[in-house]
Amino acid sequence: MFYFTDSLRSLSASMRNVFRKPTTVEFPEVRRDRPERFRASFALLHDEAGDEMCIGCKACERICPSEIITVELVKKESPITGKKRAYASEFVLDTNACIYCELCVQVCPADAIVMVKLAEEPKFNRQGLVLTMERLYENEKLRPLSWANATRLVEMQSPGPASAVTVAEDK
Amino acid sequence: MEMMKHGVKGRQRANPYLNLETYDPEADLMVLNLGPQHPSTHGVFRLKLYLDGEIIVKVVPFVGYLHRGVEKLCEKLTMVQLVPIVDKNDYVSPMMNEQSLVMAFENLLGVEVPRRARYLRTLLAELQRIASHLLWFGAFAMDLGGALGGGSTLFMYCFRERELILDLFEELTGCRFHYNTHVIGGNRHDVPAGWAPKVHAAINTIEARLSEYHTFLTSNDIYIERTRGIGVVDGPLAMELGITGPVLRAAGIDHDLRRDAPYHCYDEIDVRVATETAGDCEARAKVRLKEIRESIRIVRDLIDGIPEGSLNSRKPIKTPLAEKATDGHAYAALESPRGELGVYVIGGGTNKGASPYRLKIRSPSLHVLACLPYILPGHSVSDAVAVLGSVDPIMGEVDR
Amino acid sequence: MNPWVRGLIYAVVVTNVFLTITAWSIWFERKFSGRMQSRLGPTFYGPAGLLQPVVDGIKLIQKEFLIPASADRILFVVAPPLTVVLALGTAAVIPFNADIIAADLDIGVLYLLALGSLTIIPVWMSGWSSNNKYAMLGAMRAVAQGVSYEIPLVLASLVPVILAGSMSLSDIVRFQIKHGWFAFWPPGPGFFAFLFFLPASLAEANRIPFDIPEAESELIAGVTTEYTGMGFGLLYLAEYLHTLVISAVASVLFFGGWDGPFAPGLHWMVLKTLALFAGIFWVRWSLVRFRSDQLMTICWRYLVPGGLILVMSAGLWVHFTKGGG
Repeated sequence: MFYFTDSLRSLSASMRNVFRKPTTVEFPEVRRDRPERFRASFALLHDEAGDEMCIGCKACERICPSEIITVELVKKESPITGKKRAYASEFVLDTNACIYCELCVQVCPADAIVMVKLAEEPKFNRQGLVLTMERLYENEKLRPLSWANATRLVEMQSPGPASAVTVAEDK
Repeated sequence: MEMMKHGVKGRQRANPYLNLETYDPEADLMVLNLGPQHPSTHGVFRLKLYLDGEIIVKVVPFVGYLHRGVEKLCEKLTMVQLVPIVDKNDYVSPMMNEQSLVMAFENLLGVEVPRRARYLRTLLAELQRIASHLLWFGAFAMDLGGALGGGSTLFMYCFRERELILDLFEELTGCRFHYNTHVIGGNRHDVPAGWAPKVHAAINTIEARLSEYHTFLTSNDIYIERTRGIGVVDGPLAMELGITGPVLRAAGIDHDLRRDAPYHCYDEIDVRVATETAGDCEARAKVRLKEIRESIRIVRDLIDGIPEGSLNSRKPIKTPLAEKATDGHAYAALESPRGELGVYVIGGGTNKGASPYRLKIRSPSLHVLACLPYILPGHSVSDAVAVLGSVDPIMGEVDR
Repeated sequence: MNPWVRGLIYAVVVTNVFLTITAWSIWFERKFSGRMQSRLGPTFYGPAGLLQPVVDGIKLIQKEFLIPASADRILFVVAPPLTVVLALGTAAVIPFNADIIAADLDIGVLYLLALGSLTIIPVWMSGWSSNNKYAMLGAMRAVAQGVSYEIPLVLASLVPVILAGSMSLSDIVRFQIKHGWFAFWPPGPGFFAFLFFLPASLAEANRIPFDIPEAESELIAGVTTEYTGMGFGLLYLAEYLHTLVISAVASVLFFGGWDGPFAPGLHWMVLKTLALFAGIFWVRWSLVRFRSDQLMTICWRYLVPGGLILVMSAGLWVHFTKGGG
């Protein structure tokens, strides 16, 4: 029965929020900072000498629950060291079906694949979201890398008496 | 039949198998399909209502629109690959899905989880419960007041608070949603530096805003009239249908898995279980709001005392065949925001036992939806929407 | 001036002013509701999103106006423009200033109430002709609600009429200028009449908390479910127009029209109308809706007896103060 007085209280509660700073920002002109571990897309890395780190071992292809990674192995001479080693001749990662579970990052024995903090831009067709090897190597420079790679994840999760590595210590 | 004509009120149960030919030869019954596409059926859910004017006479629910074959997929993928897949069942509280699955696998394999991981799992479960109940509250207000109106205002407020918790999860795991942070034997992500003060700040804000919600909605006479005495689920009905969670506790039955069958670190915490006796929509709302407060209290107690130790008792996953179980079966259940979320696994599937032979997920929302044919007749269409909102079904876990 | 020319000029100007204010009320509502919900509202089109109504209009115009195959074609197509016409028709008798009034009828209040009750018909037409169960439920609820809330509306509007002794709106305003605004004096009947007028007129306009005919969470879009394109745009526009008209009428009947503490004139009328208009939006975005039987309970058990008591007390006041102040 006390609709009026109750309604006045609701009105005051909503008016109070008019004078608070809005929570939303004008995306995409304004972008918020993402935390260190944010997972949004992928990149393949080169090592310090400039050689591709991926050895084409297909560990990521086997672990992926969505089966979106396709890797082909080839053995060839390295352009940097001159020695013959395993490479990936083809690496396709289809982000259309990716569930961003980070398992491929964790299993990589070479620390080659990492996630990046900036997502792929929306495209008008599905092919635009399929990351080829070229785009994955481009993402290394185009997008900020996430904190996690295989070594760090394994260190964080390994059983042992010491407590796990945190981000601050790693810096 | 007389009872049906004057509406079923209070704690009387309707007959869900009512024979409409014998109902009333003069009544001109209209069939209204609430869903599957509807602004407020909480997912794809079809509720076939037989209406006599505006009063519901018979209700037939249809589920299965969101069936994705998750349990079949669980027979194909291996145990270590399954955690990000079952994340998507109860898509509003993913931590619960992950935790119930890894608990079942840990029971199957006989793996012990280190204390640090169990403690962290408790903390994450309670934070997830706050987030899930906040989302429910916003959606409930939308059902009552409309997407263009007072309900959506409260929806925005609840989401604003929920973003604080999602930011915490983002710092910890890297994903706002569907984290894949649990593994057999422990957790994958450890607490980052500076996380505890942020958790304190977040839950302090949420606690302050809860009283604003009370001023805004739950003390408003309009809301009270819309929810008091509507959709009464009484204790015996809930027990018959296997309903657990806030719906059961609002009916007066004091049952909470966190206290009665403790898991993780819940045996060290004194969980105060919230119950109400009325069993109507208002009681369910009150139970959930009390649960938010209780979870805030638990998080506040836990966050500063995370024990030292390792996060995992098994080696980190490097191959999908890391864990194998050739036989045996196990069941593990936990208290999700909707009720008892259980996973029953029989080991010894393909991939030399790395995949389960069969995995069954006991989802609380499916049982809760079964009560609708018993409690809705006698109410009007607006009440149907309010009741559906208050029992909080998530179709992802209903259909899997 | 030739009365035909005068009439034409007024028609064009008043219609355009009202439609423009209604169009920009879309921008205002989205910004205001955004701020209440802790978000920004439209910001993209034009500075601070001011061209949003233009863009919304263009979007609605370029959409196809679908008529369902089993719908009643004539009623379906006629209903939206009819709603707009009836809502605009009430603007003819509203006095904006001492000498700016399109038609100074002696029975202004009666004309307003008559047109207000006519607005139920196109709402019902749109619901019935859609041949859609949701729309029909909405239409039936709209008719029940509209017809019931006529009575408290009439009773609440009668109070200023009795106190001022005339049905002409400009006479009511002149009386308030001489004796004080009806919302505050005489203390009692005037204030409560306003408190009854507001829910009754909100119910006539199907606004929250009385918007059960177009309850979005239950009936998809209620009576407007099957409408697309400009048909939907017109129905939407008519709802805002009706709200604007209610604000204008309330400020005339209860708040003194163009009167103000200093420099009475058109600006005061505009200010009061827009303030009430904003207040109605504020109510919309803060309250949840009533169920239909609760609506009816409020109308028949609280507002109608209360309205009768108010009318009696207004009559007694006039009698005992011999029509003076």
